[in-house]
Amino acid sequence: MSEPHSYIGFEEYSQRIPQSIPAAVQQATSRFVGLRAARVAEMPHWEQLRQLGSDIRLHTIENLDYYLTKLEINVQAAGGIVHWAATAGDARQIVLQIAKEHDVKLAVKSKSMATEEIELNHALEEAGIEALETDLGEYIIQLAGTGPSHIIVPAVHLKKEEIASLFSEKLKIQAPADPAVLARIARETLREKFLNAEMGITGANFLVAETGTLVIVTNEGNGRMCSTMPDLHVAVVGIDKVIPDWETLTVFLKLLARSATGQKISTYTQFITGPRKEEGEFGPKEFHLVLLDNGRSKILQDSVGREIFKCIRCGACANVCPVYKHVGGFAYGWFISGPIGAIFAPQMLGTRVARELPYASTLCGACADVCPVKIPIPKILRHLRKRVAEGDVVSGPAMATSIRATAGLVSLALAWNWIYRTGTRLLPSIMGVFLKDGWIPSAPYPLSRWTSVRPLPRFNAQFRSWWKNKLGKKDTSR
Amino acid sequence: MAKAQLFITCLADQFYTGTLQNMTRLLEELGVELIFPPEQTCCGQPLYNNGFEDRTREVARNFLRAFSHTDAPIVGPSGSCASMIKHHYPDLFPVGTPEHNLANEIAARTHEFTDYLVNVLKVTDVGAVYPHKVTYHASCHYLREMGLKTEAKSLLSNVKGLEFITLNEEDTCCGFGGAFTVTFPEVSRLLMEKKVGNIIASQADTVVMCEPGCLMNVAGGLYKAGSNIRAMHIIDLLAER
Amino acid sequence: MTYSVIESIRNSLGRGTGTPLLRRPEIFPARQPESVDVEIDQFLNEVNKLSGVGKHITTQEIAERLKELVCSENIHKATLWDTDLLKQLGIEDLLRETGVELISPNASKQEMELCDLGITECDYLLPETGTIVLRSSNKKPRGVSLLPRIHLAIVIPQQLRADLHQVFAEAKDAHYLVFVTGPSRTADIELTVTLGVHGPKELYVWMLKGSI
Repeated sequence: MSEPHSYIGFEEYSQRIPQSIPAAVQQATSRFVGLRAARVAEMPHWEQLRQLGSDIRLHTIENLDYYLTKLEINVQAAGGIVHWAATAGDARQIVLQIAKEHDVKLAVKSKSMATEEIELNHALEEAGIEALETDLGEYIIQLAGTGPSHIIVPAVHLKKEEIASLFSEKLKIQAPADPAVLARIARETLREKFLNAEMGITGANFLVAETGTLVIVTNEGNGRMCSTMPDLHVAVVGIDKVIPDWETLTVFLKLLARSATGQKISTYTQFITGPRKEEGEFGPKEFHLVLLDNGRSKILQDSVGREIFKCIRCGACANVCPVYKHVGGFAYGWFISGPIGAIFAPQMLGTRVARELPYASTLCGACADVCPVKIPIPKILRHLRKRVAEGDVVSGPAMATSIRATAGLVSLALAWNWIYRTGTRLLPSIMGVFLKDGWIPSAPYPLSRWTSVRPLPRFNAQFRSWWKNKLGKKDTSR
Repeated sequence: MAKAQLFITCLADQFYTGTLQNMTRLLEELGVELIFPPEQTCCGQPLYNNGFEDRTREVARNFLRAFSHTDAPIVGPSGSCASMIKHHYPDLFPVGTPEHNLANEIAARTHEFTDYLVNVLKVTDVGAVYPHKVTYHASCHYLREMGLKTEAKSLLSNVKGLEFITLNEEDTCCGFGGAFTVTFPEVSRLLMEKKVGNIIASQADTVVMCEPGCLMNVAGGLYKAGSNIRAMHIIDLLAER
Repeated sequence: MTYSVIESIRNSLGRGTGTPLLRRPEIFPARQPESVDVEIDQFLNEVNKLSGVGKHITTQEIAERLKELVCSENIHKATLWDTDLLKQLGIEDLLRETGVELISPNASKQEMELCDLGITECDYLLPETGTIVLRSSNKKPRGVSLLPRIHLAIVIPQQLRADLHQVFAEAKDAHYLVFVTGPSRTADIELTVTLGVHGPKELYVWMLKGSI
């Protein structure tokens, strides 16, 4: 398990979201959904690809030790240095140690969820190292001091006017509310940093075991800059990112961009195997790969839960999720949000901290339809709800005793049908007192949680008696 | 003569007696001899979907007992309830046990109503007459778990006088999600209001769906919004003459 | 320390060091290419769709096109790959003739940063996506296609490959590869697509006609 994290109160957070956030998030999600649909329509083999993607990832997960061992050998053969980080703390230590040995004062980072997971920036800053995000969206939220509202476009909740004043304030310049100009300002400001940074930090989209190759996908070019300009390149990557070989990589490259943004392929895809070979070619002199466990190896025991490691971080699930679209990324309390966040966080952080997240879904199943690697998200949500409600081999129940007790009473009433039938006969008159114009606008707790949003219909169970009468009439008519 | 067992579902039992009566009439008109096992209560879905798997087993046992007095198919007015039986009951019992075998056997003969009509009885026209502008909300489990993509629309296309209007975001969740309405009422509200907004914008005078749960949510939401749009279960629409 | 993670994985999966690897799933066959002309057209179309500038030109046209480019894009400094085709075409001299200052491809990053134009060839071309694939070496430095605000790639039909499968089969031994598909872009600010964030703002791809 990773380090202690504060409790994630999805219900509370979801009620504190300003209106502007869902509105902005929905613009992003509908754009990506439309573009993805267009790309999928062009691919007659799409379903086959998804199945292959799923099979390959599962195969890799089930043989993870084999592939990671192979990866390590090949990265080292290519002149890279491999580090194993059992915990987030270990990973931070390793990166800090490397930075110290190279007297790093400035590090440039390209987008990496693994580095968010271990909260690397904070650790670097404490050690007196300037750690700059270079992906435009990440750069913006770093300046703003907030978290991401969407996996792919983390700053989408901010209007251009807000970004302009942010730049004006933090960069001490006059920034107009024009996206093209703001992007140019970011380009010019970060240029100098790319050229002067002693260390480039990246993640990786995939790790190819066959040759020890890192695959990095970006649209802006900051991934290229971070892994090409500084003399030192450090990649922090979760152990779940490994794939067997280049042949299988073709499947994921065909699935990833189409699922994420509806592009056929992202602007830049890099395939990095070790440091540079010749001095004049550009590229780092030294390359370090930090492989991050942080609780993943333990989760492998759970044959249902471990399907989260098939994830290729496209965000397609979030784009179709009706819950996510109305609350945005912040409500999920961690760097990874939407449906994948709801099944990742409870396993990585534990169900005591994230017990609300598996319930932050209507189980509508729209996510499972679009996941490029067929992660059975509703199945895993139910699996984790069981862990929260009743406990399982991984951990004991985390749900409030009162709710568990209520569920016990409910199941009793439903299992002992005479209790249910008696209740059904009595409810119309009991609930009748709350009737107004044929509806129940306000009912006592816990039904008040329903009626606070919309009225309950009239309790009107008459079918059973009607059927009995019907049978009686049939008999007497004979 | 075809025989079928009526699976009335706990929600329709409590709130939609009329729908159940219409279901009975429609099936009898189609020549189906109906059996109603009175020991039935609920399929257990609210418990199962909220993680109370052990608790669900007790409820499932009652269902299996109630419906195994005869081997006639089981028909209910809900895709999510039918899906619970078909797709999740077998998972509740260890493979190889008699209960698992019974669950499998019952799962194989459980049907959602429109599925039974269209795919078993091979009927798409029940002689309904409903000259109104009707829009359709595709319920999540009905659509995705049961895979019923065309049945409801086939039936609606044969209703005389019906003018079909496609609902914007037809297959987006209405926010019912079972207990979701009481676990996260405010988020449920946002989804419900979006759905209600789309329904009102469609300019239909009726919205039809195949789930009692969605119906409770949407009908309540329309009422709260002061709308006159009629929310109906497809069974009630098909019973219109 | 090194293997505690691997040990933990083995424990969880119930595998030992000797546990055999199950066969991994087969991939379905790669795309078959159409005729060269169709492939070239598709390639250039895709480049143009992405706001790149893809042109099909003869070697004779190069001098004029280069001059046009230098004038319209205000090129003062340029750098280029130290490779055979570019030498054969005399690109360096052509640039000098138009008054452009040449920076060595092996110059420091600070020097190359001042270039307006970087010219490369390419190693492979993918028509379905309009992608150019570049290797890396002393003669083909990575900075040339990355630092200048304009990247020009001069390519030939022989570099076309039908699918990712072919490229990977040929290039997986490379210590570095980059796929370039269009100019650098972002939609991070209010989803407005903006070009030229960190990588080149313009991508020109000139596909040469006739035999080289």
